[in-house]
Amino acid sequence: MALCHLPLPRWSAQCRLRSMTATKGPLAPPTCADNSPPCPDVSLNPPILSRPQDHTLAYLPSEPLSLSLPRTHSLHSATRLGSTRLAARSSMASPGAQQLKQLKPLYQHVVNNFVAVLAAPVAVAAAITAARVGPDELLARLHALRAAHVFLAVFVPAAAATLYLMLRPRSVYLVDYACFRTKPNCRVPFSTFLEHAKLVTFVEGASIDERSVRFMTRLLERSGLGEETCLPPAHHYIPPYRNMEASRAEVELVIFSAIDDLLAKTGISPAAIDILVVNCSLFAPIPSFTDMIIHRYGMRRDVRNVHLSGMGCSAGLISVGLARNLLQVAPRGAHALVVSTETITPNYYVGKERAMLLPNCLFRMGGAALLLSTSRAKARFRLARVVRTLTGAQDSAYRCVFQEEDGEGHRGINLSKDLMTIAGDALKANITAIGPLVLPASEQLLFAMSFIARRVFGGGKFKPYLPDFRTAFEHFCIHAGGRAVIDELQRSLGLSDQDVEASRMALHRFGNTSSSSVWYELAYIEAKGRMRRGDRVWMIGFGSGFKCNSAAWECIAPPRNAEGPWEDSICRYPVDIPEVLKH
Amino acid sequence: MVYEQEEVLPGAVHGHRLSTVVPSSVTGEVDYALSDADLAFKLHYLRGVYYYPPGDVTRGITTKVIKDPMFPWLDDYFPVAGRVRRDAADVAAAGEGHPPRPYIKCNDCGVRIVEAKCDRDMAEWLRDEAPGRLSQLCYDKVLGPELFFSPLLYVQITNFKCGGLALGFSWAHLIGDVASAATCFNKWAQILSGKKPEPTVLTPENMPGHSPASATAPRSVKQVGPIEDHWIVPAGRDMACYSFHVTEPTLKKLQQQAAVATGTFELVAALMWQTVAKIRGGVETVTVVKNDAAARSGRALANEMKVGYAEASGSSPAKADVAELAALLAKGVVDETAAVAAFPGDVLVYGGAHLTLVDMEQVDVYGLEIRGQRPVHVEYGMDGVGEEGAVLVQPDADGRGRTVTAVLPRDEIESLRAALQDA
Repeated sequence: MALCHLPLPRWSAQCRLRSMTATKGPLAPPTCADNSPPCPDVSLNPPILSRPQDHTLAYLPSEPLSLSLPRTHSLHSATRLGSTRLAARSSMASPGAQQLKQLKPLYQHVVNNFVAVLAAPVAVAAAITAARVGPDELLARLHALRAAHVFLAVFVPAAAATLYLMLRPRSVYLVDYACFRTKPNCRVPFSTFLEHAKLVTFVEGASIDERSVRFMTRLLERSGLGEETCLPPAHHYIPPYRNMEASRAEVELVIFSAIDDLLAKTGISPAAIDILVVNCSLFAPIPSFTDMIIHRYGMRRDVRNVHLSGMGCSAGLISVGLARNLLQVAPRGAHALVVSTETITPNYYVGKERAMLLPNCLFRMGGAALLLSTSRAKARFRLARVVRTLTGAQDSAYRCVFQEEDGEGHRGINLSKDLMTIAGDALKANITAIGPLVLPASEQLLFAMSFIARRVFGGGKFKPYLPDFRTAFEHFCIHAGGRAVIDELQRSLGLSDQDVEASRMALHRFGNTSSSSVWYELAYIEAKGRMRRGDRVWMIGFGSGFKCNSAAWECIAPPRNAEGPWEDSICRYPVDIPEVLKH
Repeated sequence: MVYEQEEVLPGAVHGHRLSTVVPSSVTGEVDYALSDADLAFKLHYLRGVYYYPPGDVTRGITTKVIKDPMFPWLDDYFPVAGRVRRDAADVAAAGEGHPPRPYIKCNDCGVRIVEAKCDRDMAEWLRDEAPGRLSQLCYDKVLGPELFFSPLLYVQITNFKCGGLALGFSWAHLIGDVASAATCFNKWAQILSGKKPEPTVLTPENMPGHSPASATAPRSVKQVGPIEDHWIVPAGRDMACYSFHVTEPTLKKLQQQAAVATGTFELVAALMWQTVAKIRGGVETVTVVKNDAAARSGRALANEMKVGYAEASGSSPAKADVAELAALLAKGVVDETAAVAAFPGDVLVYGGAHLTLVDMEQVDVYGLEIRGQRPVHVEYGMDGVGEEGAVLVQPDADGRGRTVTAVLPRDEIESLRAALQDA
């Protein structure tokens, strides 16, 4: 694999843990945890600490699916089976189920290639018949046919095929993406965060009290965040700056550096951008972010720019969907720049409400810039699907993540207690929508049969069939909303620890960077060298509303170099994230 | 941005804005053990101010320029970014009834940076020689009452109206003596200039365990306490730091009066001893704290000053010859360093038992060059000094004279000024 010959990440001062037993002299350069070069074999990473057991979603299968199997990636087969269940050493299944499991790959092969399976014997039969009839006889029969019929038999399918090719929507490709690379001078360890929270006092006399600090301590310890996450420079002050000037400074820092990286990677000039979509939920200045970008990079006068605000943490995928729609009606070969970010500076909550303190602890600085195009030249991914589901029609979902002022008048984001349940429901709705579009025929057939069986024979006898999304996707980028969200999704989708490793590690290293977190996770997968041509990626985003949005990508080319936000830290990952991190 | 409605007295330093700087990489679960010598000095705080003159170079020194090198600097000096904790597993202390032994948890909590402004010109400020100006330019917090949240180092950046810059360091003596502190700050300046500084050595010395200690405090120091979590013993009287310059001609005169060749520190310290004895009457014994560069272990953070006392036998120091006192300081100091470290109780070293004379001759304070700009003046004072007072003898800008900072009760300072003007 070309990736295993990538240059090793530069050893930087960031990539070391100091030890008090060092005597004199500088510390030796670090070796990775398993003393291997930074492109470890996909299948050898040990599973991460297992998650707590509590089953709240009713539609889960009761038997846990096999975890941490070595994944053999069959590049030769046309069907991409993903994990070979044959190797399942699951001792919990009965012998009957064992046999069924062994038959499963055969079943998948047959159903997924149904047309081929049917056509093969028919073709063989036709060939035998033709051979029996003899070539002379065949020619005689052909001459007997009327010319008009022959012409129609050829012309009609050809015309239909041409019309189909012309009228289908154009494919949209991701040329490349770049994430904001955090700087060590924005780093916030737990202890600093808590100390600041304690020392913040405002003129109005409102202050975060002891109980709130203890609550935040407990939150941070169990949050799954690491000690390297970053907050904007304005938040390093006591009390933090929350004014527009500081907010704009953060935006410029994040967005401009991500776009600079992207322009360098793709070699495109800002004048070639036709469409510009930016999403940032909580900060919407005038002029908008898009105008800021146009001003800074000198873009053309006819750029179609849109700023999406207030759309929550799943807005990144909404922007991708919007950019795709705009690209499909733009002239051929148009380019769209999509920027996803969240501005932390104006949103530091200074009150005492517990439900509103959680975002303070989890949200961190981050952003991503992507270049989409309808031309396949130099593209790295193809956008297969974007599926958006909104559950805002229900009261509980609508009020689940709600920005409001608390009793003392401090503005913050209120997260309701049943967030996980609502997230589960939204995910279910999204799966129902995206399942038929991405799952192979074999899984859909099984799901349909299970559905019918449950309807006909009553719900008790048959458990609902959970389609195995690992037959449809090789990689999963689940929005790193928090440890609980990732645990919940892992359980709901029946994913292994390795599948959600990217999400957990992105949460640990970068915190919850809102809409750009899926891009940090993709960057992790690529930095680990796991992305191969033909791999399919599923990005799932959640956000206020309550929305669950998915995007399915297919890899055309793996990354060419090791540059990215994980450059300096990838050799330290994956880490074992304890239940409670004592700081 | 002023966030509190403070009344700004004309000429006062105002507009304080706090922020924090942390190490740039994760330290991990590391504890820095404090030696007995470190704990002996825990009630004292160094206050050092470096003045940079107005000019193009100083104008280019923004807060960002000052802060950015601090992140890698704290990677090397990560204990300075930690916080004091008490060792809950210290069974021995629990048995004896006093609080458990403190140590430093290297949790990357960081160093506090304070940005402030002053509406006066720096030259005017220096000329005034106001006592107490040091406390305006160094953030005057101490460790406690909440040890968990007390930074060990504050750096105050004060911008004067003329464009001059003052850097005030408030350093807890606990983690290192003045030589360690000065080296630490110089390393930061080296990183700022882009040079790669020498590696720091931070291994703690082998803890000797609980060596047998005497029941009474050594003569050089005064026992106080027991101190709980607020590590300052308020002196009964209002103490202030007063800095003044001892010129080269004065030094030459003192040298000539001495019969044998005597070190500059001894001469200046003897002069101060005599002056204070005249003002106060009866300063028979002094505590002497010396810095011996040759005897240092090479550890980056250590309290390795030599503590001792000198007793003027016979005549009262007020009437004795400066040369005699100087000779006494050179030869007649009884070293009590080990005893001070081994003493288990809480002590005040500076200004506790007697007037304390501190030798900072070998400390390279003028090495803190920012972008090639040397400080135009440096003065080091101290907080947490006992009533007896302390005198710090430091090098001056050109190296030929000496800067002396006297930490004395405010009323004695007036008399000191008068006495010095006469001399």
